[in-house]
Amino acid sequence: MATILDLHSHSEASEDSRAPVEAYLNWIKLRRRERPVNGIVLTEHRQWNAAGDYRELEDKYGIMILKATEAETDYGHMLVFGVNEDIAKRFDFANIRIPAQELIDEVARMGGVVVPCHPGRPTVGLCEHYASKPPLHNVVAVELLNGGSRRGEDERTAELVAKYGYRTTGGSDSHLVSLIGVCATRFEADIKDIEGLVRELKSGRYQPVDFRAPRKPVPRAVPEQTA
Amino acid sequence: MRTLEEIQIGDNIGPEPLFLEKDRVRAYCNAAGLAGVPRFTDDELARKEGLPGMITPGNMSAALIGKLVTDWARPANARLIRLGTTYRSPVLPEHHLSLQGFVTQVDHGERTAELDIWIENEDGDRLVTATATVKFPPKA
Repeated sequence: MATILDLHSHSEASEDSRAPVEAYLNWIKLRRRERPVNGIVLTEHRQWNAAGDYRELEDKYGIMILKATEAETDYGHMLVFGVNEDIAKRFDFANIRIPAQELIDEVARMGGVVVPCHPGRPTVGLCEHYASKPPLHNVVAVELLNGGSRRGEDERTAELVAKYGYRTTGGSDSHLVSLIGVCATRFEADIKDIEGLVRELKSGRYQPVDFRAPRKPVPRAVPEQTA
Repeated sequence: MRTLEEIQIGDNIGPEPLFLEKDRVRAYCNAAGLAGVPRFTDDELARKEGLPGMITPGNMSAALIGKLVTDWARPANARLIRLGTTYRSPVLPEHHLSLQGFVTQVDHGERTAELDIWIENEDGDRLVTATATVKFPPKA
């Protein structure tokens, strides 16, 4: 059975989001036909939320909730999946200049996987860093579809993917309740937990999926007469 | 708008089309004490700061979002009690924009509704995003 996961979301545990986890689940339930995700991954900024326990909510809504982190590195922002005690001790996620190559290699050695997110975004994305620094080694995948991307950003990532042959994921990067699940990743395998997610991210049997409605043209406002 | 009892998660707010003329932005700047800030009033000086042209002040964007919410809330005698904004990209005057959002949470105990609101441009990019809390009067 395939599993569709939104691999990138922020709850109110991130300082720039006010979205409660339960509100996300309610929204997914409401919009399930348009955004048929089986689960979400909470990727809070610069922190590992070890204490967060969402099992009751998972049972109540029948939606999987996994935890990861969005780290800040010298090559931009990166999602770290499979954070465990060893990884949490090894890296201070509050540090906004974690050496990216070290993060990728050490997290892999300790059982996790790192996926650079929104690579096409100015300043915080991989593309801009690749313009002035050598490419990173051992990159398993990059986030090709990001629900918060502005025009041109995902296209820039597609060029990076074409050049380096990276595998690709998708995630909403939701900071607002109503944006959860707009982009996601469809895995061929049945995923039940974070270990399964890490295993499948390394396997390559997945692809990003875009559940955004086709963009409707913005209604034309009649310019107001100014005095 | 209806009473809190009739509001549902997923209800639309807007969309409200919006076209900000440069003179309207300048008028806001005059009223808000920002007339001396060239990035809000002068294309050429704004470009010297690396901007694509004059931009709309963040306070004006927040005010426009606030007005969308209060226009929605007023018929029910509800009040905007919190507004939080995130500025993702500059709001450029002389563009066809859209103000819109959704009801995302309803708390009947506290008699509040939580809203997601944003300003979107012609490309569908969300330039300013916001969340708001609206407080409804006690049940009659």
